[in-house]
Amino acid sequence: MALPLRYHWLSLFARKTTTLLTILVIAAVVGVFGWMMGFHAALRDSLSVAGDSRKLIVIKRGSTAESNSAVSPEEFNRLHQLSDVQVDPETGERLISPEMLVQVSLPRLRDGGATFANVAVRGVTKSAFKVHQNVSFAGNRTLGSREVIVGRAAAEQFGGLEIGETINLGHGGIRPYEITGYFSADGGPMESEIWGDLHSLMNSYNRSRYSSASLRLGDGADAKSVLERIEGPAIQLTGATETDYWDGQAKWIRIYIGIAGGLVAVMSLAAVFSIANTMYSMVAGRTREVAMLRTIGYSGGQVLWGFVIESVLLSLIGGVLGCLACGAWLSLVGNTKDMFGATTFTTLAFKISMNWRIVLASLILVSVVGVCGALLPAVRAARLEIVAALREP
Amino acid sequence: MTLGYILMQNLRRNPSRTALTVVAFALPMAIFVAAISCVVALKEIGESNAKQLRLAVHDKTTLTNGLPERKRREIEALDPDRKRLRAVCGMRWFGGRVPDEQNTLTSLAADVDTFPVVYSDAGMTETDVEAWERERRACVVGRAIAEQYEWSVGDRVELHSTVPPYLALEFRVVKIMTNPSVANYFFFRRGYLEESLKEAGSENPICNVFWVKCHSVEDLRWLQVEIDRLFAGTSEATKTEDESVFKSRFTQAMGDLPGLMEAMAVVVVVIIALVAGNTMMMSFRERTRELAVFKAIGFASGRIFAIVLGESVLLSLMGALIGIVPTAAILLVFPVRRLNYGPISSLEVSSDAIIASFAIALTVGLVSGLWPAIQSLRLQTTDALRRVA
Repeated sequence: MALPLRYHWLSLFARKTTTLLTILVIAAVVGVFGWMMGFHAALRDSLSVAGDSRKLIVIKRGSTAESNSAVSPEEFNRLHQLSDVQVDPETGERLISPEMLVQVSLPRLRDGGATFANVAVRGVTKSAFKVHQNVSFAGNRTLGSREVIVGRAAAEQFGGLEIGETINLGHGGIRPYEITGYFSADGGPMESEIWGDLHSLMNSYNRSRYSSASLRLGDGADAKSVLERIEGPAIQLTGATETDYWDGQAKWIRIYIGIAGGLVAVMSLAAVFSIANTMYSMVAGRTREVAMLRTIGYSGGQVLWGFVIESVLLSLIGGVLGCLACGAWLSLVGNTKDMFGATTFTTLAFKISMNWRIVLASLILVSVVGVCGALLPAVRAARLEIVAALREP
Repeated sequence: MTLGYILMQNLRRNPSRTALTVVAFALPMAIFVAAISCVVALKEIGESNAKQLRLAVHDKTTLTNGLPERKRREIEALDPDRKRLRAVCGMRWFGGRVPDEQNTLTSLAADVDTFPVVYSDAGMTETDVEAWERERRACVVGRAIAEQYEWSVGDRVELHSTVPPYLALEFRVVKIMTNPSVANYFFFRRGYLEESLKEAGSENPICNVFWVKCHSVEDLRWLQVEIDRLFAGTSEATKTEDESVFKSRFTQAMGDLPGLMEAMAVVVVVIIALVAGNTMMMSFRERTRELAVFKAIGFASGRIFAIVLGESVLLSLMGALIGIVPTAAILLVFPVRRLNYGPISSLEVSSDAIIASFAIALTVGLVSGLWPAIQSLRLQTTDALRRVA
């Protein structure tokens, strides 16, 4: 018969201070881990939503993103040679959307407007709503020349984007546009954008060229061969599937997550040592008790498991506390964040939130940390010389 | 028996505990020294920028909207006697990449005449300025970039622009800038860019930002208001900002890593305090009787206090040493600037950061040892001798 769980539970409270201090160390590590996991998950979700592999983003050769690409109308028209593009069943036209991407500097709501974010403003035509299938907008898809619609993520995080408000765009910010609606894009990057009528915006920003074109591949068309034609002599542009495009833009994000992940790894290791320390002290303090357990018939293996279980219990308490602290931090201090793509020069807004997957991952992490920390002390406990141990003071 | 002897004996008595505590202390300390280096470096850059007394003037809507180059004269005309402003330097974004490389360098075309004055942190000597003014293709390059591509003064280098019309230009390096605040910048002469643009058939002399160097903070505040007032309501309305506010746009946009580092520093201090405190509580509890014996044979209370507190401080300093020294060494050998990640590329281990780390470790050692040490003062010899560990 294994040792009852209640025995371990009560043992934890025999030395309250030590237990508490260890639990707090674990909670601090798990809190940071949970936040980082949330951050990672939020970005991955946002970027994977963007990952529409049937959609191509076409930009000028030599440019690195839509924001620094300039595609002339002639160059754009050459795209109509492509045969593998989906045809709109209603109009019979190919689904190729000319777009212009500019920016507007807007205050961040989370710090009360102390800092500004570069928010993407996309000039679109009606066809954009058909090419970008994850964009859903209930209102009239023919945007008026002085109206814009705003992505939900942008509306939540940046100032001055309520419906009915006007936003000043164009050179020097002297062209007012009225915000007439919100759109969603399944949480993808486009939800951080503002959309307006292509020709009106080109006029306001004094541009005669588009930035990019987005197109939907026809059924059965091969993205790679279409891209080869786009790069070929007849068209001379370049492009990528949306999946690859955003993958390439995730550079800052990857470095950031890499650094944060490294820090969490080091802290987790510190937690292992801290637990080992506590468990050694527990074993040392209970030498006689362990010897007694062995005398009444518990095997060395059972004692070993007992200490491991105790350590995991301790870690799990810390883990739960850490998750709660992380959740409290996110809801009290704030869960909004935004980051640039590597070269887009526009920001991607997202929300960090705790979910069951993160809680589960945190608890698995602390269990592993608990087992690692307990292993050596538990082996020592299991190998005690019973007779000598019973004689100890 | 000296205090040092007793302390060493105590630490040696339970080597596994000492080792575990030291390692559990050292790992967070390693994070702390990196985090605090980042914070210190940014603070130093902030201070050095503040000393430069520069204002950034750019289009109100967005930086990517250029302002016509004549704006420089209009700004200068605000203070014809140069009592408030020293010089104005227009800059235009080039966004160059080394051929076949992914990284876009922070490469800017700057007005040739005013650049050395406005960007005095570039640290150009008279000879440097002479070369900069003589050579049409001159460029001055930050140390991080120069190290990454192994460039040195005199080298011919080529960059391909990532903004329309995607020019490929050749430059000659005339100066490597060592100041951390410009370690990731590449500057060249705007005249050269505009001429090349004209040859390519897209003449449109604009600047993305005008840097206005002022004489004093008061002048800076005055100009900040006056410049925006001058252009308000036109299609060239501007926004004028402090250099630090201007730059925070970019650090924020890259995820606010300095903010993460600050938060990490705080979390880490909490963790090491808990680790050290835990060990001290455990040691104290196990040695209550022993301390009582010391008391009984006539050790003064002060000395016992010192024994307990000394152990905690010693442990913390050992942990700090093991955590800080290797991290500092690693960061010195592989500077973070090689990552080419804007916000922390200026991270360098400074003596300030190392001193701050040891100071934190010392404080944590003192604080975590304080409670057991006070307990030891209150110890009733007879009670303690009777107590079972």
